[in-house]
Amino acid sequence: MDNARPLIVTLALLFASSLATAQPTLPSGLRLHGFASQGAVHTSGNRFHGDSPKTSFDFTEIGLNASWRLNPRLLLAGQVLSRRAGDMSDGWPKVDFALADITLVTEDEARAGIRLGRLKNRLGLYNETRDVPFTHPGIFLPQVVYFDKVRNLVLATDGVQLHGELYQPFGTLSATLASGRPVVDENVEAALLRGQIPGSIEPRENSWLASLWFHSPTERIKFGLSGASIALQQDWNLTPATPTIDLTYWIASAQYNAEHWSFSTEYMGLPYRGRDFQPVRPNLSQTSEGYYAQLTYRPSPPLELMLRYEEGFADRDDRSGQTLARVSQGLLPKQSAYSRILSLGLRWDLSRQWMLRAEYQRHAGSFILSEIENPNLLEHDTHWDLFAVQAAFRF
Amino acid sequence: MKRGPTPSRRAPRAQLPQGGLRGLLRKSRQGLLWSLSWGLSGGVATGVPGLVSAQQIIVNPDVGVVAIDRNRARLIFSMRVNQWGDKQPVTVFVLPDDASLHQVFAKSALGLYPYQLRRTWDRLVFSGTGQAPVQVASEQEMIERVRQTAGAIGYISDQPDATGVKTVRVE
Repeated sequence: MDNARPLIVTLALLFASSLATAQPTLPSGLRLHGFASQGAVHTSGNRFHGDSPKTSFDFTEIGLNASWRLNPRLLLAGQVLSRRAGDMSDGWPKVDFALADITLVTEDEARAGIRLGRLKNRLGLYNETRDVPFTHPGIFLPQVVYFDKVRNLVLATDGVQLHGELYQPFGTLSATLASGRPVVDENVEAALLRGQIPGSIEPRENSWLASLWFHSPTERIKFGLSGASIALQQDWNLTPATPTIDLTYWIASAQYNAEHWSFSTEYMGLPYRGRDFQPVRPNLSQTSEGYYAQLTYRPSPPLELMLRYEEGFADRDDRSGQTLARVSQGLLPKQSAYSRILSLGLRWDLSRQWMLRAEYQRHAGSFILSEIENPNLLEHDTHWDLFAVQAAFRF
Repeated sequence: MKRGPTPSRRAPRAQLPQGGLRGLLRKSRQGLLWSLSWGLSGGVATGVPGLVSAQQIIVNPDVGVVAIDRNRARLIFSMRVNQWGDKQPVTVFVLPDDASLHQVFAKSALGLYPYQLRRTWDRLVFSGTGQAPVQVASEQEMIERVRQTAGAIGYISDQPDATGVKTVRVE
Protein backbone atom coordinates (compact mmCIF):
# COMPACT_ATOMS: atom_id res chain seq x y z
CA MET A 1 0.00 0.00 0.00
CA ASP A 2 2.80 2.38 0.90
CA ASN A 3 4.54 1.65 -2.38
CA ALA A 4 1.38 2.31 -4.34
CA ARG A 5 1.04 5.87 -3.11
CA PRO A 6 3.54 7.62 -5.43
CA LEU A 7 1.94 5.73 -8.33
CA ILE A 8 -1.52 6.96 -7.35
CA VAL A 9 -0.25 10.53 -7.12
CA THR A 10 1.41 10.27 -10.52
CA LEU A 11 -1.73 8.84 -12.09
CA ALA A 12 -3.82 11.61 -10.57
CA LEU A 13 -1.43 14.20 -11.96
CA LEU A 14 -1.57 12.67 -15.44
CA PHE A 15 -5.34 12.55 -15.24
CA ALA A 16 -5.39 16.17 -14.09
CA SER A 17 -3.07 17.31 -16.89
CA SER A 18 -5.17 15.59 -19.56
CA LEU A 19 -8.28 17.23 -18.15
CA ALA A 20 -6.55 20.59 -18.17
CA THR A 21 -5.67 20.32 -21.85
CA ALA A 22 -9.18 19.09 -22.68
CA GLN A 23 -10.73 22.14 -20.97
CA PRO A 24 -11.49 24.19 -24.13
CA THR A 25 -13.88 21.47 -25.38
CA LEU A 26 -16.07 21.53 -22.23
CA PRO A 27 -19.60 22.91 -22.46
CA SER A 28 -19.80 26.61 -21.70
CA GLY A 29 -20.22 27.35 -18.03
CA LEU A 30 -18.59 24.08 -16.90
CA ARG A 31 -15.11 24.43 -15.41
CA LEU A 32 -12.71 21.82 -14.08
CA HIS A 33 -9.80 22.56 -11.78
CA GLY A 34 -7.59 20.49 -9.55
CA PHE A 35 -4.45 20.32 -7.50
CA ALA A 36 -2.03 17.79 -6.09
CA SER A 37 0.77 18.18 -3.59
CA GLN A 38 3.36 16.00 -1.96
CA GLY A 39 5.26 17.04 1.15
CA ALA A 40 8.19 15.73 3.13
CA VAL A 41 8.34 16.55 6.85
CA HIS A 42 11.27 16.09 9.20
CA THR A 43 11.18 16.88 12.91
CA SER A 44 13.85 16.66 15.59
CA GLY A 45 11.27 14.97 17.85
CA ASN A 46 7.45 14.52 18.08
CA ARG A 47 5.37 13.17 15.21
CA PHE A 48 3.79 15.68 12.81
CA HIS A 49 2.07 14.44 9.63
CA GLY A 50 3.48 10.94 9.99
CA ASP A 51 6.69 9.49 11.36
CA SER A 52 8.47 12.79 10.93
CA PRO A 53 11.49 12.07 13.21
CA LYS A 54 12.50 9.60 10.46
CA THR A 55 11.28 12.01 7.71
CA SER A 56 7.69 11.45 6.67
CA PHE A 57 6.26 11.51 3.16
CA ASP A 58 2.75 10.90 4.50
CA PHE A 59 1.52 14.33 3.50
CA THR A 60 -0.34 14.25 0.20
CA GLU A 61 -3.28 16.35 -0.97
CA ILE A 62 -5.21 15.77 -4.20
CA GLY A 63 -8.33 17.69 -5.13
CA LEU A 64 -10.61 17.65 -8.15
CA ASN A 65 -13.01 20.51 -8.55
CA ALA A 66 -15.92 21.18 -10.90
CA SER A 67 -18.28 24.10 -11.15
CA TRP A 68 -21.11 24.68 -13.53
CA ARG A 69 -22.78 28.03 -14.00
CA LEU A 70 -26.16 27.13 -15.45
CA ASN A 71 -27.21 30.77 -15.54
CA PRO A 72 -26.17 33.97 -13.75
CA ARG A 73 -28.38 33.03 -10.80
CA LEU A 74 -27.42 29.40 -10.32
CA LEU A 75 -24.00 27.86 -9.74
CA LEU A 76 -23.42 24.18 -8.94
CA ALA A 77 -19.99 23.36 -7.50
CA GLY A 78 -18.25 20.40 -5.92
CA GLN A 79 -14.83 19.18 -4.88
CA VAL A 80 -13.48 15.77 -3.98
CA LEU A 81 -10.45 15.76 -1.72
CA SER A 82 -8.00 13.02 -0.86
CA ARG A 83 -5.83 14.06 2.05
CA ARG A 84 -3.19 11.92 3.63
CA ALA A 85 -1.73 13.48 6.77
CA GLY A 86 0.08 10.92 8.93
CA ASP A 87 -2.30 9.19 11.34
CA MET A 88 -4.74 12.11 11.24
CA SER A 89 -6.09 11.47 7.76
CA ASP A 90 -5.81 8.36 5.61
CA GLY A 91 -6.21 9.77 2.11
CA TRP A 92 -9.58 8.19 1.44
CA PRO A 93 -11.38 10.54 -1.02
CA LYS A 94 -14.10 12.65 0.58
CA VAL A 95 -16.63 15.15 -0.66
CA ASP A 96 -15.01 18.40 0.43
CA PHE A 97 -17.97 20.48 -0.69
CA ALA A 98 -21.00 20.02 -2.95
CA LEU A 99 -23.37 22.91 -3.21
CA ALA A 100 -25.91 24.93 -5.12
CA ASP A 101 -25.41 28.69 -4.96
CA ILE A 102 -28.57 30.61 -5.81
CA THR A 103 -28.38 34.36 -6.31
CA LEU A 104 -31.59 35.98 -5.08
CA VAL A 105 -30.79 39.68 -5.45
CA THR A 106 -28.38 41.46 -7.79
CA GLU A 107 -28.30 45.22 -7.80
CA ASP A 108 -25.55 47.65 -8.73
CA GLU A 109 -24.64 48.08 -5.07
CA ALA A 110 -25.58 44.74 -3.56
CA ARG A 111 -25.83 41.02 -4.07
CA ALA A 112 -27.45 38.37 -1.89
CA GLY A 113 -28.17 34.69 -2.15
CA ILE A 114 -28.45 31.32 -0.54
CA ARG A 115 -26.20 28.25 -0.64
CA LEU A 116 -27.36 24.70 0.06
CA GLY A 117 -25.40 21.49 0.52
CA ARG A 118 -22.01 20.73 2.04
CA LEU A 119 -20.44 24.15 2.52
CA LYS A 120 -16.92 25.19 3.45
CA ASN A 121 -17.07 27.35 6.56
CA ARG A 122 -16.11 30.97 6.10
CA LEU A 123 -13.85 31.17 9.15
CA GLY A 124 -10.77 33.36 9.25
CA LEU A 125 -8.62 34.23 6.25
CA TYR A 126 -7.84 30.66 5.24
CA ASN A 127 -10.36 28.03 6.37
CA GLU A 128 -12.40 27.89 3.16
CA THR A 129 -9.41 26.88 1.05
CA ARG A 130 -7.21 25.40 3.78
CA ASP A 131 -6.32 22.26 1.81
CA VAL A 132 -5.33 24.04 -1.40
CA PRO A 133 -1.57 24.62 -1.12
CA PHE A 134 -1.50 27.59 -3.50
CA THR A 135 -3.93 29.58 -1.40
CA HIS A 136 -2.07 29.70 1.90
CA PRO A 137 1.09 31.45 2.99
CA GLY A 138 3.18 28.44 4.06
CA ILE A 139 3.21 24.65 3.84
CA PHE A 140 1.29 24.59 7.12
CA LEU A 141 -1.32 27.10 8.22
CA PRO A 142 -0.74 28.70 11.63
CA GLN A 143 -1.60 25.69 13.78
CA VAL A 144 -2.64 27.68 16.85
CA VAL A 145 -5.58 29.10 14.86
CA TYR A 146 -6.18 26.47 12.15
CA PHE A 147 -5.53 23.25 14.09
CA ASP A 148 -4.89 20.35 11.73
CA LYS A 149 -5.50 18.05 14.71
CA VAL A 150 -9.19 19.10 14.84
CA ARG A 151 -9.64 20.44 11.32
CA ASN A 152 -12.89 18.63 10.65
CA LEU A 153 -14.70 20.35 13.48
CA VAL A 154 -14.64 23.67 11.66
CA LEU A 155 -14.01 22.58 8.08
CA ALA A 156 -17.47 22.22 6.59
CA THR A 157 -21.17 22.15 7.40
CA ASP A 158 -24.00 20.19 5.82
CA GLY A 159 -26.69 22.83 5.74
CA VAL A 160 -27.72 26.19 4.46
CA GLN A 161 -26.00 29.57 4.24
CA LEU A 162 -27.33 33.04 3.53
CA HIS A 163 -24.80 35.45 2.08
CA GLY A 164 -24.84 39.09 1.14
CA GLU A 165 -22.39 41.69 -0.21
CA LEU A 166 -22.69 45.45 -0.21
CA TYR A 167 -20.53 47.46 -2.62
CA GLN A 168 -19.88 51.03 -1.51
CA PRO A 169 -17.35 53.66 -2.60
CA PHE A 170 -15.55 53.19 0.75
CA GLY A 171 -15.30 49.43 0.30
CA THR A 172 -17.14 46.14 0.33
CA LEU A 173 -19.04 44.65 3.25
CA SER A 174 -19.89 40.96 3.10
CA ALA A 175 -21.69 38.75 5.56
CA THR A 176 -22.71 35.11 5.90
CA LEU A 177 -25.03 33.27 8.25
CA ALA A 178 -25.14 29.48 8.17
CA SER A 179 -26.65 26.57 10.04
CA GLY A 180 -26.29 22.81 9.75
CA ARG A 181 -24.57 19.63 10.91
CA PRO A 182 -20.84 19.85 11.52
CA VAL A 183 -18.63 17.09 10.16
CA VAL A 184 -16.81 15.46 13.13
CA ASP A 185 -14.40 12.54 13.42
CA GLU A 186 -12.09 10.79 15.87
CA ASN A 187 -9.53 13.61 15.64
CA VAL A 188 -12.07 15.93 17.25
CA GLU A 189 -12.57 13.58 20.15
CA ALA A 190 -8.85 13.05 20.68
CA ALA A 191 -8.11 16.76 20.68
CA LEU A 192 -11.02 18.02 22.78
CA LEU A 193 -10.87 15.24 25.34
CA ARG A 194 -7.09 14.77 25.18
CA GLY A 195 -7.06 11.12 24.28
CA GLN A 196 -9.61 8.54 23.24
CA ILE A 197 -12.47 7.52 25.49
CA PRO A 198 -15.31 4.99 25.05
CA GLY A 199 -18.05 5.67 22.50
CA SER A 200 -18.00 8.13 19.65
CA ILE A 201 -18.48 11.86 19.38
CA GLU A 202 -21.28 13.26 17.25
CA PRO A 203 -23.21 16.50 16.67
CA ARG A 204 -25.93 17.13 19.26
CA GLU A 205 -27.65 20.06 17.57
CA ASN A 206 -27.19 22.10 14.43
CA SER A 207 -24.21 24.45 14.44
CA TRP A 208 -24.52 28.16 13.78
CA LEU A 209 -21.90 30.09 11.87
CA ALA A 210 -21.60 33.77 11.02
CA SER A 211 -19.03 36.03 9.42
CA LEU A 212 -18.67 39.73 8.69
CA TRP A 213 -15.94 41.09 6.42
CA PHE A 214 -14.87 44.51 5.23
CA HIS A 215 -12.32 45.33 2.60
CA SER A 216 -11.31 48.65 1.08
CA PRO A 217 -12.06 49.14 -2.66
CA THR A 218 -8.59 48.03 -3.76
CA GLU A 219 -8.41 45.39 -0.99
CA ARG A 220 -5.41 47.03 0.64
CA ILE A 221 -7.10 46.61 4.01
CA LYS A 222 -9.23 43.67 5.06
CA PHE A 223 -10.97 43.07 8.40
CA GLY A 224 -13.07 40.14 9.43
CA LEU A 225 -14.90 38.61 12.33
CA SER A 226 -16.14 35.05 12.01
CA GLY A 227 -17.31 32.33 14.35
CA ALA A 228 -19.05 29.02 14.87
CA SER A 229 -21.11 27.70 17.74
CA ILE A 230 -21.05 23.92 17.97
CA ALA A 231 -22.85 21.42 20.23
CA LEU A 232 -21.55 17.84 20.47
CA GLN A 233 -22.31 14.75 22.52
CA GLN A 234 -20.46 11.56 23.40
CA ASP A 235 -22.49 8.52 22.47
CA TRP A 236 -21.67 5.98 25.18
CA ASN A 237 -23.42 3.67 27.66
CA LEU A 238 -20.99 3.93 30.57
CA THR A 239 -23.35 6.11 32.57
CA PRO A 240 -27.05 7.03 32.22
CA ALA A 241 -26.10 10.64 31.48
CA THR A 242 -25.07 11.65 27.95
CA PRO A 243 -21.83 13.66 28.07
CA THR A 244 -21.94 16.94 26.17
CA ILE A 245 -19.47 19.46 24.77
CA ASP A 246 -20.44 23.01 23.80
CA LEU A 247 -17.94 25.23 22.11
CA THR A 248 -17.57 28.51 20.28
CA TYR A 249 -14.75 29.02 17.80
CA TRP A 250 -14.19 32.58 16.67
CA ILE A 251 -11.51 34.45 14.76
CA ALA A 252 -10.77 38.15 14.40
CA SER A 253 -8.72 38.84 11.24
CA ALA A 254 -6.82 41.78 9.79
CA GLN A 255 -4.69 42.01 6.66
CA TYR A 256 -2.78 44.73 4.83
CA ASN A 257 -1.71 44.19 1.20
CA ALA A 258 0.99 46.21 -0.55
CA GLU A 259 2.61 45.47 -3.89
CA HIS A 260 5.57 43.54 -2.52
CA TRP A 261 4.39 42.52 0.93
CA SER A 262 1.35 41.54 2.95
CA PHE A 263 0.86 41.60 6.70
CA SER A 264 -1.73 39.33 8.30
CA THR A 265 -2.72 38.80 11.88
CA GLU A 266 -5.50 36.79 13.50
CA TYR A 267 -6.75 36.00 16.98
CA MET A 268 -8.67 32.82 17.72
CA GLY A 269 -10.74 32.20 20.85
CA LEU A 270 -12.22 28.78 21.68
CA PRO A 271 -14.27 28.69 24.87
CA TYR A 272 -15.62 25.20 25.54
CA ARG A 273 -17.45 23.30 28.22
CA GLY A 274 -17.59 19.54 28.81
CA ARG A 275 -20.32 18.05 31.05
CA ASP A 276 -21.14 14.57 32.42
CA PHE A 277 -17.90 12.89 31.38
CA GLN A 278 -17.37 11.51 34.92
CA PRO A 279 -15.79 9.17 35.82
CA VAL A 280 -13.58 9.26 32.70
CA ARG A 281 -12.98 13.03 32.68
CA PRO A 282 -13.85 15.80 35.13
CA ASN A 283 -16.27 18.55 34.12
CA LEU A 284 -14.34 21.07 32.13
CA SER A 285 -14.80 24.73 31.36
CA GLN A 286 -11.94 26.63 29.77
CA THR A 287 -10.93 28.84 26.87
CA SER A 288 -8.22 27.94 24.39
CA GLU A 289 -6.68 30.75 22.40
CA GLY A 290 -4.18 31.33 19.62
CA TYR A 291 -2.83 34.27 17.66
CA TYR A 292 -0.18 35.00 15.07
CA ALA A 293 1.46 37.78 13.09
CA GLN A 294 2.72 37.00 9.61
CA LEU A 295 4.69 38.90 7.00
CA THR A 296 4.92 37.71 3.40
CA TYR A 297 7.38 39.44 1.11
CA ARG A 298 7.45 39.13 -2.68
CA PRO A 299 10.84 40.47 -3.80
CA SER A 300 10.30 39.49 -7.46
CA PRO A 301 7.49 37.47 -9.10
CA PRO A 302 8.53 33.81 -8.77
CA LEU A 303 9.68 34.11 -5.14
CA GLU A 304 7.85 34.74 -1.88
CA LEU A 305 9.27 34.75 1.64
CA MET A 306 7.24 34.25 4.80
CA LEU A 307 7.98 35.06 8.44
CA ARG A 308 5.48 34.19 11.16
CA TYR A 309 5.29 34.07 14.92
CA GLU A 310 2.43 32.37 16.70
CA GLU A 311 1.37 31.43 20.22
CA GLY A 312 -1.41 29.13 21.36
CA PHE A 313 -2.66 27.90 24.74
CA ALA A 314 -4.98 25.06 25.73
CA ASP A 315 -6.25 27.19 28.62
CA ARG A 316 -5.61 30.90 28.56
CA ASP A 317 -5.71 31.01 32.37
CA ASP A 318 -2.94 28.40 32.54
CA ARG A 319 -0.43 29.47 29.91
CA SER A 320 2.50 27.73 31.57
CA GLY A 321 0.60 24.44 31.93
CA GLN A 322 1.45 24.14 35.63
CA THR A 323 -2.18 23.82 36.72
CA LEU A 324 -2.78 21.19 34.02
CA ALA A 325 0.22 19.15 35.19
CA ARG A 326 -0.87 19.42 38.84
CA VAL A 327 -4.58 18.62 38.29
CA SER A 328 -3.77 15.67 36.01
CA GLN A 329 -1.19 14.47 38.57
CA GLY A 330 1.52 14.65 35.94
CA LEU A 331 -0.33 12.65 33.27
CA LEU A 332 -0.62 15.76 31.11
CA PRO A 333 2.78 17.49 31.09
CA LYS A 334 2.91 21.25 31.21
CA GLN A 335 4.44 21.60 27.71
CA SER A 336 1.27 20.09 26.21
CA ALA A 337 -0.59 23.23 27.32
CA TYR A 338 1.17 25.69 25.01
CA SER A 339 2.88 26.19 21.65
CA ARG A 340 5.11 29.06 20.62
CA ILE A 341 6.24 28.77 17.00
CA LEU A 342 8.56 30.77 14.78
CA SER A 343 8.27 29.93 11.06
CA LEU A 344 10.34 30.86 8.03
CA GLY A 345 9.10 29.92 4.57
CA LEU A 346 10.12 30.17 0.94
CA ARG A 347 7.76 29.79 -2.01
CA TRP A 348 8.95 29.44 -5.57
CA ASP A 349 6.40 29.43 -8.40
CA LEU A 350 8.21 27.49 -11.12
CA SER A 351 5.40 28.06 -13.61
CA ARG A 352 1.69 28.78 -13.67
CA GLN A 353 1.10 25.17 -12.63
CA TRP A 354 4.01 24.16 -10.43
CA MET A 355 5.09 25.46 -7.05
CA LEU A 356 7.90 24.45 -4.67
CA ARG A 357 8.04 25.33 -1.00
CA ALA A 358 10.43 24.98 1.91
CA GLU A 359 9.69 25.80 5.54
CA TYR A 360 11.50 25.80 8.86
CA GLN A 361 9.76 26.01 12.23
CA ARG A 362 11.14 26.31 15.74
CA HIS A 363 8.70 25.07 18.38
CA ALA A 364 8.45 25.49 22.12
CA GLY A 365 5.66 23.33 23.55
CA SER A 366 3.48 20.61 22.04
CA PHE A 367 -0.07 21.99 22.25
CA ILE A 368 -0.57 21.82 18.46
CA LEU A 369 0.43 18.15 18.20
CA SER A 370 -2.20 15.53 17.42
CA GLU A 371 -2.95 13.22 20.35
CA ILE A 372 -3.62 10.48 17.80
CA GLU A 373 -0.13 10.83 16.34
CA ASN A 374 1.50 11.34 19.75
CA PRO A 375 -0.54 9.25 22.21
CA ASN A 376 2.02 9.33 24.99
CA LEU A 377 1.94 12.96 26.04
CA LEU A 378 4.73 12.45 28.56
CA GLU A 379 7.16 11.73 25.73
CA HIS A 380 6.54 15.06 23.98
CA ASP A 381 9.70 17.04 23.37
CA THR A 382 9.32 20.61 24.63
CA HIS A 383 11.79 22.20 22.22
CA TRP A 384 11.77 20.85 18.69
CA ASP A 385 12.46 21.79 15.08
CA LEU A 386 10.53 21.10 11.92
CA PHE A 387 11.78 21.21 8.36
CA ALA A 388 9.46 20.58 5.41
CA VAL A 389 9.47 20.78 1.63
CA GLN A 390 6.48 20.52 -0.69
CA ALA A 391 5.85 20.30 -4.43
CA ALA A 392 2.42 21.28 -5.72
CA PHE A 393 0.67 21.18 -9.06
CA ARG A 394 -2.54 22.87 -10.17
CA PHE A 395 -4.64 23.34 -13.26
CA MET B 1 13.37 59.45 -18.43
CA LYS B 2 12.75 57.85 -21.85
CA ARG B 3 14.08 54.33 -22.07
CA GLY B 4 14.76 54.21 -25.81
CA PRO B 5 16.14 50.66 -25.87
CA THR B 6 14.44 49.79 -29.17
CA PRO B 7 17.34 49.69 -31.67
CA SER B 8 19.90 48.09 -29.38
CA ARG B 9 17.45 45.31 -28.33
CA ARG B 10 16.48 44.41 -31.84
CA ALA B 11 19.98 43.29 -32.84
CA PRO B 12 20.62 40.54 -30.24
CA ARG B 13 17.08 39.22 -30.72
CA ALA B 14 17.77 38.57 -34.38
CA GLN B 15 20.65 36.27 -33.38
CA LEU B 16 18.48 33.96 -31.26
CA PRO B 17 18.21 30.40 -32.58
CA GLN B 18 14.98 29.58 -34.40
CA GLY B 19 13.55 26.38 -32.91
CA GLY B 20 11.38 26.20 -29.78
CA LEU B 21 11.77 29.81 -28.82
CA ARG B 22 8.65 31.23 -30.39
CA GLY B 23 6.89 31.67 -27.09
CA LEU B 24 9.88 33.39 -25.61
CA LEU B 25 10.19 35.64 -28.63
CA ARG B 26 6.53 36.54 -28.49
CA LYS B 27 6.90 37.40 -24.84
CA SER B 28 9.96 39.59 -25.38
CA ARG B 29 8.20 41.25 -28.33
CA GLN B 30 5.29 42.00 -26.02
CA GLY B 31 7.74 43.42 -23.50
CA LEU B 32 9.32 45.50 -26.22
CA LEU B 33 5.94 46.80 -27.27
CA TRP B 34 5.31 47.74 -23.73
CA SER B 35 8.48 49.65 -23.20
CA LEU B 36 7.79 51.34 -26.53
CA SER B 37 4.26 52.43 -25.65
CA TRP B 38 5.48 53.37 -22.16
CA GLY B 39 8.13 55.57 -23.76
CA LEU B 40 5.70 57.11 -26.25
CA SER B 41 3.06 57.87 -23.68
CA GLY B 42 5.52 59.62 -21.42
CA GLY B 43 6.15 56.62 -19.14
CA VAL B 44 7.46 57.56 -15.75
CA ALA B 45 7.33 61.29 -16.51
CA THR B 46 3.51 61.31 -16.60
CA GLY B 47 3.17 58.48 -14.11
CA VAL B 48 0.10 56.26 -13.98
CA PRO B 49 -2.18 58.22 -16.38
CA GLY B 50 0.34 57.52 -19.15
CA LEU B 51 -0.04 53.81 -18.46
CA VAL B 52 -3.82 53.91 -18.39
CA SER B 53 -3.93 55.22 -21.96
CA ALA B 54 -1.78 52.26 -22.99
CA GLN B 55 -4.56 49.71 -22.54
CA GLN B 56 -8.31 49.63 -22.82
CA ILE B 57 -11.28 47.56 -21.81
CA ILE B 58 -13.09 45.87 -24.70
CA VAL B 59 -16.54 44.28 -24.74
CA ASN B 60 -18.64 42.30 -27.18
CA PRO B 61 -20.58 44.77 -29.40
CA ASP B 62 -23.92 43.55 -27.96
CA VAL B 63 -23.01 44.90 -24.51
CA GLY B 64 -24.91 48.15 -24.05
CA VAL B 65 -22.32 50.19 -22.14
CA VAL B 66 -19.96 52.88 -23.44
CA ALA B 67 -18.26 53.72 -20.14
CA ILE B 68 -17.58 51.85 -16.94
CA ASP B 69 -16.41 53.21 -13.61
CA ARG B 70 -13.34 51.82 -11.92
CA ASN B 71 -15.25 50.28 -9.01
CA ARG B 72 -17.55 48.42 -11.39
CA ALA B 73 -14.61 47.24 -13.49
CA ARG B 74 -12.98 45.94 -10.30
CA LEU B 75 -16.14 44.07 -9.28
CA ILE B 76 -16.47 42.52 -12.75
CA PHE B 77 -12.81 41.42 -13.04
CA SER B 78 -12.77 40.08 -9.50
CA MET B 79 -15.85 38.00 -10.50
CA ARG B 80 -18.17 39.51 -7.89
CA VAL B 81 -20.63 40.96 -10.39
CA ASN B 82 -21.63 38.54 -13.16
CA GLN B 83 -24.46 40.38 -14.91
CA TRP B 84 -24.63 43.57 -16.96
CA GLY B 85 -27.23 46.23 -16.10
CA ASP B 86 -29.72 44.56 -18.51
CA LYS B 87 -29.15 41.19 -16.71
CA GLN B 88 -27.12 39.73 -19.57
CA PRO B 89 -24.45 37.32 -18.19
CA VAL B 90 -20.86 38.59 -18.17
CA THR B 91 -18.01 36.42 -19.46
CA VAL B 92 -14.61 37.70 -18.34
CA PHE B 93 -11.43 37.01 -20.33
CA VAL B 94 -7.95 37.61 -18.95
CA LEU B 95 -4.34 37.02 -19.97
CA PRO B 96 -2.08 34.83 -17.78
CA ASP B 97 -0.92 36.31 -14.46
CA ASP B 98 2.64 36.74 -15.71
CA ALA B 99 1.70 38.56 -18.94
CA SER B 100 2.95 42.13 -18.73
CA LEU B 101 -0.30 43.49 -20.19
CA HIS B 102 -2.27 41.72 -17.45
CA GLN B 103 -0.02 43.19 -14.77
CA VAL B 104 -0.25 46.73 -16.10
CA PHE B 105 -4.01 46.42 -16.61
CA ALA B 106 -4.60 45.11 -13.07
CA LYS B 107 -2.50 47.84 -11.49
CA SER B 108 -3.46 50.90 -13.52
CA ALA B 109 -7.04 50.21 -14.63
CA LEU B 110 -8.25 48.27 -11.58
CA GLY B 111 -5.84 49.46 -8.89
CA LEU B 112 -5.24 45.83 -7.85
CA TYR B 113 -2.05 43.79 -7.82
CA PRO B 114 -2.18 40.60 -9.91
CA TYR B 115 -1.61 38.46 -6.79
CA GLN B 116 -4.79 39.93 -5.26
CA LEU B 117 -6.88 38.98 -8.28
CA ARG B 118 -5.41 35.46 -8.23
CA ARG B 119 -6.18 35.14 -4.51
CA THR B 120 -9.79 36.27 -5.02
CA TRP B 121 -10.34 33.87 -7.95
CA ASP B 122 -8.73 30.95 -6.09
CA ARG B 123 -10.97 31.52 -3.10
CA LEU B 124 -14.08 31.51 -5.30
CA VAL B 125 -13.04 28.38 -7.23
CA PHE B 126 -11.80 26.29 -4.31
CA SER B 127 -14.66 27.15 -1.96
CA GLY B 128 -17.29 26.55 -4.67
CA THR B 129 -18.68 30.08 -4.36
CA GLY B 130 -17.76 31.31 -7.84
CA GLN B 131 -15.69 30.84 -10.96
CA ALA B 132 -12.43 32.24 -12.29
CA PRO B 133 -12.23 34.23 -15.55
CA VAL B 134 -11.44 32.43 -18.80
CA GLN B 135 -7.72 32.64 -19.48
CA VAL B 136 -6.55 33.30 -23.04
CA ALA B 137 -3.00 32.97 -24.35
CA SER B 138 -2.58 36.18 -26.35
CA GLU B 139 -4.06 39.56 -27.13
CA GLN B 140 -5.15 38.24 -30.52
CA GLU B 141 -7.06 35.40 -28.87
CA MET B 142 -8.54 37.92 -26.41
CA ILE B 143 -10.00 39.98 -29.28
CA GLU B 144 -11.23 36.84 -31.03
CA ARG B 145 -12.99 35.41 -27.95
CA VAL B 146 -14.53 38.73 -26.89
CA ARG B 147 -15.86 39.20 -30.44
CA GLN B 148 -17.42 35.70 -30.46
CA THR B 149 -18.87 35.61 -26.92
CA ALA B 150 -22.09 37.44 -26.00
CA GLY B 151 -21.66 39.60 -22.89
CA ALA B 152 -17.86 39.25 -23.01
CA ILE B 153 -15.35 41.67 -21.49
CA GLY B 154 -11.56 41.77 -21.77
CA TYR B 155 -8.71 44.19 -22.31
CA ILE B 156 -6.08 44.99 -24.93
CA SER B 157 -3.20 47.36 -25.40
CA ASP B 158 -4.21 50.32 -27.54
CA GLN B 159 -2.31 49.36 -30.67
CA PRO B 160 -3.68 46.14 -32.21
CA ASP B 161 -6.39 46.08 -34.83
CA ALA B 162 -9.48 45.46 -32.74
CA THR B 163 -12.29 45.22 -35.25
CA GLY B 164 -15.48 43.54 -34.11
CA VAL B 165 -15.15 44.52 -30.46
CA LYS B 166 -16.24 47.68 -28.68
CA THR B 167 -13.84 49.82 -26.67
CA VAL B 168 -15.17 51.01 -23.32
CA ARG B 169 -14.05 54.12 -21.46
CA VAL B 170 -12.92 53.70 -17.84
CA GLU B 171 -14.05 56.59 -15.65
